[in-house]
Order: sequence, then C-alpha cells, then structure tokens
Amino acid sequence: MNNVVAISDLQIGYENQPLVSHINATINSGELVCIIGRNGEGKSTLIKTLCKLIKPQFGKATINNHDLFGMSDKDFAQLISVVLTSKIAINQTSVKEFVAYGRYPFTNWIGTLTEHDQQLINNAIDFCGIGHLAHRDFSSLSDGEKQKVNIARTIAQNTPIIILDEPTAHLDLVNNIEVFKLLKTLTTDYHKIIVLSTHHIELAIQLADKIWMFNKGFFMEEKPKSILEKGLINTLFENDGVQYNSLTNTFIFDK
Amino acid sequence: MKNINLKNNLLLLTLIGTALLLFLLDLFLGSVKIPFSSVITILCGKHIDNESWTLIILASRLPKATAAILCGAALSVSGLQMQTLFRNPLAGPYILGISSGAGLGVSIFVMGLSMFGISLSSFPFLANYGIIIFSFLGSFMVLLLLLAAIYRLKDIMTVLILGIMIGSIINAVISILQYFSDNQQLKTFVMWTMGSLSTISNQQILVILPLLLLALLASFIISKQLNLYLLGEDYAKSMGLNIRKFQLIVVLITAFLTGIVTAFCGPIGFIGIVVPHIARMISKTSNHLILIPMSILLGINILLMSDIISVVPNSDSILPINAITSFIGIPIIIWIIIKNKRITNVG
Repeated sequence: MNNVVAISDLQIGYENQPLVSHINATINSGELVCIIGRNGEGKSTLIKTLCKLIKPQFGKATINNHDLFGMSDKDFAQLISVVLTSKIAINQTSVKEFVAYGRYPFTNWIGTLTEHDQQLINNAIDFCGIGHLAHRDFSSLSDGEKQKVNIARTIAQNTPIIILDEPTAHLDLVNNIEVFKLLKTLTTDYHKIIVLSTHHIELAIQLADKIWMFNKGFFMEEKPKSILEKGLINTLFENDGVQYNSLTNTFIFDK
Repeated sequence: MKNINLKNNLLLLTLIGTALLLFLLDLFLGSVKIPFSSVITILCGKHIDNESWTLIILASRLPKATAAILCGAALSVSGLQMQTLFRNPLAGPYILGISSGAGLGVSIFVMGLSMFGISLSSFPFLANYGIIIFSFLGSFMVLLLLLAAIYRLKDIMTVLILGIMIGSIINAVISILQYFSDNQQLKTFVMWTMGSLSTISNQQILVILPLLLLALLASFIISKQLNLYLLGEDYAKSMGLNIRKFQLIVVLITAFLTGIVTAFCGPIGFIGIVVPHIARMISKTSNHLILIPMSILLGINILLMSDIISVVPNSDSILPINAITSFIGIPIIIWIIIKNKRITNVG
C-alpha cells in the first residue's frame, strides 16, 4: 500500500513566534527525507510539530488524507514511530524489553505480547544487529548502542512512517554510516517513509530521496541532485569561509 | 527475562506467606497474653468462654492489624507512583502536600474551632468523627489545588514545586494555630502527627476497604501507562499516552489513597518512600505490573512488622507507629545504599 504524507502551508514556531511559514511538501512510501539547515532554523521545530509535541501555528499535514494534528495519540502511535533527541534514562530494563516497548501501542491493557509481537521484536533486533546486546541492561549501553536499540524499538513498532530528530548526533563515523544505511534499507526494502534531521550534509545528499532545507527563514523541498546543481548548499554557509565541493562531496575551508 | 518473571512470582508468593504469618503474629502479640489456639478459635468465629479475649482480638487487634495492611499497601503504591511521576527517588505519598492539607484540617478541628468559640460538646457526631472529616477535607482541598495546577501548568515539575510550596505555607498556618492553642489541644494534634493504627474501628474499616481496593486496582490497571511514562513525557506521548490525562489519574489515585489513610491513621512516614526502592531492588525490574503488587505486599509486611514492634511487651502502651517505621525503614535504606553503593534510580 502506498502511503502519502502531505504538508500544506504549514507555519511552525514556539509560542506565538512564527519561525518558518509556507512549508509545503509531500512524501511517498519508500522515500528517505533528510532535513538540513543550520541550528535554530527550524529542523527540530518541524520535527516536533510533526510529532505533535508542539502545536502548528497554521496550515495542515495529512497522512493518507487523515488530518495529522487532529489525530488521537493512540492512532498517531500506530502510524508514526519517533526517535527524539531527549535522553532515555530507564533502569532495570533489558534491551529486549526496551525494544518490546515498540509493541505498546498495539498490545492489550496489561501489555501481553502475542507471538506476532514477539516475532516483530526479534526481527527488529536482528535487523539492527543488536542480538548480542539483547539481555544487557539498556542503561549500561554506549550512546551508539542505545541509539541502535531505540531505532530497533521503532522498527518493532512497525509503523509505515518513522521520524528521527538528529539520530546520529552523538555517534562516531562508523556508527553514523551504519545508522544511515540501516534507515536507507528500511525505505528501499520495506517501503517505509523516513524523515530525519541531520547535520551530516554529505551523507544526506548521497542517501536521501528528498532534501528539506531550512535557510534564513525559508523552507524548500528539493532533490539532492538539484541542490547540488543550483548550488543551494553554499547559500547555507555564506560568509562563513566554508564551501561545498560537489565533485568530491566534501566541505572545504576557504584559505 | 523468563527467569526474572519466575523469580518474581515466587517472591510475590513468599511475601503473601510472610504477610499472613505477620498478620497472625500481630493478632497474637499484645499487652494481654492470649493463647495462640484461642486466637485462631476466635478468628474462626467460634465462641469461647473468655468474653474479654474475644473483645480484645475482634475489636482491638483485628482492626489494628487490618489498618496496618491497608495503610502499608496504600502508602507504598502511592509512593511508587509519585516516584515514577516525578522521576525522583525521594518522592513519596506526601510529596504533593496531601499530609499537610490533612494536618491543616485536623489542626483547625483540634485547635482552631475553639478559637472561634465553637464548642464540640454540642456536636457529638463531630466529636467522634471530626478528625477524620477535617483531615479528609484538608487533603481534598490540596488535591483540588493540584488538579487546577496540572490543568493550568504544562510542566509536571512545576506542579511538584507548587505542591511543596503549598505544603510549606500550610505548615506555617499550622504553626500559628499551634502557637495560640493550649497544652491539651497541642498534645492531641502532636499525637495525630505521630500516626496511629489503633484508632480505627471495624465499621470504619468496612467503609474504607472497598474504596482503597478500588484505588489499588486502578493503580494496577495503569501499570502499562506508568511503564510508558518511564521513557519520558515526549516518548510516552509519541507512543500513544495521553500525558495530561495520565498525570491527572495518577495524582487522583495517590491523593485518594493517601487522603483516606491519613484521615484515619494520621500521616505515617517513610513506608511510601522506602518500599518502592526495596521493590525495585529485589525484583530487578522497572515493570509496574510487577512493582505494584510487589510494593503492596512489601508495604503490608513492613507495616505489620512495625505494628508488632510498636507493642511494648507487658505494658499497655503502644509506641508511635511513625517512630517504628523510621527505625525499620532507615536501616533498610542504608543497607541498600551500602550494598549497591547507590540507590537504584527511578525508572
């Protein structure tokens, strides 16, 4: 089944202070969307708005023509799973139990896991390659391991859409690439919609199907290729002595 | 995971067994020596020749031991819920100022009414039930303030600070009332603050038993939500939890449990803070489906034990229950800290 997310004329911001207006975008099944932009431009604000943690100031967003902002928390949890930047401080919970949290929106009042739930949990653990951690305590893991376990939790939640706020912010280069590859596989092989914000622009341009760019109060949706062709990346860093070299796909500093 | 579940089920069964033993022991021990066989006979509802023994067991020791069971269960579950709600290992049933509210009610009844020239002798009903009614009204008033605060303020930590502030200001009012009261009134009030399991009657227990059972059941029913809340508010919401509604329900259940218990037995300290930690330590889980029954049973065991200790052998006096809960609770918590080198964090 093809899922469609449509955002039209959305205005985001905190309190009554508008940050970015006229956000229009669409996503289809199997697309990986990367949100880029400098700090404070609206990446997190958009993600928090889409995750219904803050209210939109104007405009709407729909998922398969259902209003996102009018949806109950329960319905939301069955359509969208999220990875946020807030730290999870939970003790005395094994990795497997943590991944099982992903099934909470679907289980009965006492949280009984059916065979189907168990299977989804085990698949998620295998998919993320964290089988060796399954019986460790979540609080004893490194940041990178925690992030993978948290992503496994969203996979166990088995929603058509996954939204991640800077999922690789605290990770080293290897973990960083592993997480990106994992998410890419979810879109290509499992036709999920994935939206994530990141500062790793090189990775975003290589792997994303669409780039949402915040720049100086404006939002634009572009194909990674056209971002390069139009030289839009460099407008992000004007006057900062940094240039993006699209041939080598690296940033270079002006001498 | 399976092993932990099996171990915890065994633990729960053991705790039920020890609670039964302590309950019988609590009925057996007291200032008057009654043979154990007679205690059992009386409990079974059979007639024995010694009328005073029957009276002591059924009208004095039975309600006292039952009160220990109810208070232990109610306060422990309240404490667990407050620690989860505020992610704070020092939170307890009284953190939101419920006991201060009750204290204000009681102090107005004991010390304030006479200031306004209201004499109790003309209201026999009030003389008997006044402390209970005023204590409950006091708790209820604090509860209403808290609900209004949750409704108005977005951040639950702000509600916590507000709860502590309410408690402080109420204590200031109480101290003014104490300053202007006479010795007898002051003693009555101070006695109330020490807590007592022996003032409650069988009839009163029959009234509060269904209410408390209902609230305990409600707290068990929201176990899954409590578990979700451990992930943090944002994650819990993203996984389908209606945060505001959940917080309201938790505060309502806690205020209800604590308010009722405090109205009948006074503020009983320490149980509500210590028991959830012991529950977490021995069960090695953060799952409230296990922690809630574990806390209930541990609370029952510890308060029954405290009640047994509070009876001074060969004398009529009973030590204040609050002194005993501190004597029992504090060594336990120190032992936990030394053994684990830290206290297990909430969650």
